[in-house]
Amino acid sequence: MRLVGRPIPRVEDARILRGRATYLDDIEPPGTLHAGFVRSPYPHARVLRVDMSDALSDPRVIAGYTSLPGPPMAPGGKVRFQGEAVAMLVAVDRYALADALERVVVDYEPLPHVVDPAKALEEGAPLLHEENGSNVAHTARYGSPDAAGAAAPRVLEGELRVQRVVPAAMEPRGVVAAYDGHTLTVWSSTQVPYDVRKEVAGALGLPLSRVRAVQPDVGGAFGSKLIVYPEEVWVAAAAYLLGRPVKWVATRSEDFRATTHGRDMGLAFRVGFDGSGRVRSLWGRITCDVGAYHWGEGLSDIAARMLTGPYDIREAGVEVVDVYTNKTPLGAYRGAGRPEATFFVERIMDMVADELGLDPVEVRRANLVRGLPYTNPFGMTYDTGDYTGTLEAALSRLGYYELLRWADEEWARGRLVGVGLSIYVEVTTFGFETAIVRAEPDGSFTVVTGTTPHGQGVATGIAQIVADELEVPLESVRVVWGDTALVQDGIGTMGSRSITAGGSAALLAARRLREGLKAAAEQLLGSPVQYSGGRFWGPNGEAQIGDVVRAIYRGRASGPLEAYEVYNARSTYPFGVHVAVVEVDPETGHVRPVLYRSYDDAGEIVNPLLAEGQIHGGVLQGVGQALYEEAVYDGEGNLITANLALYGVPTFAEAPRYEVRFAERPHRSEHPTGTKGVGEIGAIAATPAVVRAVEHAVRRVRPGARATSTPLTPEKVWMMLRP
Amino acid sequence: MRVGLRVNGTFHEVDVEPRALLVHVLRGLGYRSVRVGCDTATCGACTVLIDGRPAKSCNLLAVQVDGAEIVTAEHADGLLERLRKSFNAHHAAQCGYCTSGMLMAAYALLSRRERPSEDEVREHMAGVLCRCTGYQNIVRAVVEA
Repeated sequence: MRLVGRPIPRVEDARILRGRATYLDDIEPPGTLHAGFVRSPYPHARVLRVDMSDALSDPRVIAGYTSLPGPPMAPGGKVRFQGEAVAMLVAVDRYALADALERVVVDYEPLPHVVDPAKALEEGAPLLHEENGSNVAHTARYGSPDAAGAAAPRVLEGELRVQRVVPAAMEPRGVVAAYDGHTLTVWSSTQVPYDVRKEVAGALGLPLSRVRAVQPDVGGAFGSKLIVYPEEVWVAAAAYLLGRPVKWVATRSEDFRATTHGRDMGLAFRVGFDGSGRVRSLWGRITCDVGAYHWGEGLSDIAARMLTGPYDIREAGVEVVDVYTNKTPLGAYRGAGRPEATFFVERIMDMVADELGLDPVEVRRANLVRGLPYTNPFGMTYDTGDYTGTLEAALSRLGYYELLRWADEEWARGRLVGVGLSIYVEVTTFGFETAIVRAEPDGSFTVVTGTTPHGQGVATGIAQIVADELEVPLESVRVVWGDTALVQDGIGTMGSRSITAGGSAALLAARRLREGLKAAAEQLLGSPVQYSGGRFWGPNGEAQIGDVVRAIYRGRASGPLEAYEVYNARSTYPFGVHVAVVEVDPETGHVRPVLYRSYDDAGEIVNPLLAEGQIHGGVLQGVGQALYEEAVYDGEGNLITANLALYGVPTFAEAPRYEVRFAERPHRSEHPTGTKGVGEIGAIAATPAVVRAVEHAVRRVRPGARATSTPLTPEKVWMMLRP
Repeated sequence: MRVGLRVNGTFHEVDVEPRALLVHVLRGLGYRSVRVGCDTATCGACTVLIDGRPAKSCNLLAVQVDGAEIVTAEHADGLLERLRKSFNAHHAAQCGYCTSGMLMAAYALLSRRERPSEDEVREHMAGVLCRCTGYQNIVRAVVEA
């Protein structure tokens, strides 16, 4: 019986549920020293002097650095965001370290700063990078720039904004490094151990063979751990120079400033449409506040290139401007450009419907892409699907119109509830991925995946795929990852690519190993053989797969014991329809998410239990984006939502009830797994659905009300409810 | 200062700085399931049972709990095994970083209430944050443990 497609509980859980998982802070080689950073309280300042002498007079303090191999600290003698590192201390334990960090004296010359991207673009704005000549970090144009909509019967203009948020994985970032005189081992709470290894080796001038990077259990990342941060290189360099193990683990407040933030994009748009709701043209300008350094390249470009969403809008053009401001650098956060694009286009569809007094579903139906594959105006080719058919199925499975009727009835009883629908198409998967499938001497199998899972359950999914391909029990397949001593190259877990790219690599490796073992079995049995269920057989007899493997290990047959596969995966496009239900308190503007239903065509679903888990978690992050979360900077450039006490990560109390469905007849991708990816769907679809649900409720009281920016805080909703 | 702690049935006598946080002392003793996720006593990843009641061990000094009976997620008994099975069956753990805190909060609830309702679970466990699961599977796992 095939394992793929079944809701098998995770094989990863045993360690986690016994408290035996090993996260970064659980790694502490004997004699480990503790590193910490002196960080700027100013958003923009010249660093005049760093005096560590008082701190270094404490015998518990081993070393202090204002520069180390790797990226410069305070490049050009300046700090450009609150929380940027100025100096690093190394002490014998974390209490001594905390004492010593207080004793470092830094003379700063505060400089004029800018935290508003519009102001950062004005003439005379303070420049973050003088050599750049302006605060423009990047510009691009996609589609037809003259998509002005002049020819359309109706034109609507407006501005939309998706706020800056903090990924806030439950485990803060951290690094441990140890040098034994031969090998430098770097453990990091990262999504990209291969990149960590390359950057550390490059900074220290070491060959890759002498640097090993290990990704231990990682307590969540959501894209915030997919670049190599300066601290990772500096801590490794200190361990190498000192010849002693060094550990740095960010405090939560430190992590809020030193780990990349997400989203933070605005769209100015002009949409042209006709009386039936058919959109004729869409012009947009995306302004993305990238913060102090351009670490998150490509985010606004993805948002731009997905701006027409699942709609066939032939005349479309987008300009992109990435702007430097004195904030924490922006980076990938679950969805990375597609949540923004989807929020923008779904808001526009709702606005067009409201302008015309039409059903928002009717407007979407009139514009949906018909006939796949389809290349959008920005060159993105949506691969497979049936968008109109899936929409109709979704409307019925999700009970959308029944929910609308129920909301009417509730309103008649005096309860203000709203129902919002969103449709999305998103792009997942890119690049190569690596897999090694190895036969162990007892006939069990080890799979090394180049992906770098950190909670998704990828090891269970890949084990299902490989066990099916080898026709062996799930228990015979063990999946490992995250150590360059096991696999030297890969990309990692990001962009909803792990099962599609990594699973396909593993599937093809397993297939090749199976073919090689079949040839070995034919030598052993002296005849052509067939294979099924772990057994080779032919006219001369039979052999279990373990017997063949043992024969190769002992030189009695020749054949492969492992297969190394590199799979290049082209992008693929999940599509779906989501519905959110909220209750609004008209007295306070408080919004309570009540119910969330989803219907997704994400290709084959390897494990529905785990796929549903991905939707749940992604949806709650999208709900947080819609209602609760925001990285707020005050006029002085202080991050004032600087820790979990001040920043609104949703709790048990805010979570809606989820009802997740996947398409009964999904459209496969071209990949061997047939999958399209599910990791980011929830975060992409939920925000526009929740925002429309709030607007739907509010419009009963204030018919013209319009939500154009997130989060919809009680204050904002209260204002919308009033004339 | 000398502090005596009984952790999962094992007695430890340790010399601690007066300012040492309980979470650091427990981790130093090898109870690594007790995790640090914040610095404001918000996230609950460090939740342990102290004399049967759930507490955030980052918000206590070790010297405050001298003589206490402490239970961490490494503990093994019938109730914890039931919770573990249920968490696995309902896919209630993803990255796992909050999971020790979730197990401890659930253990405290089920120790005094055999069949809690969904709402009771949500209210009782709201002191532990999770960024991965969206909470629903945790609620189910506790209700059906």
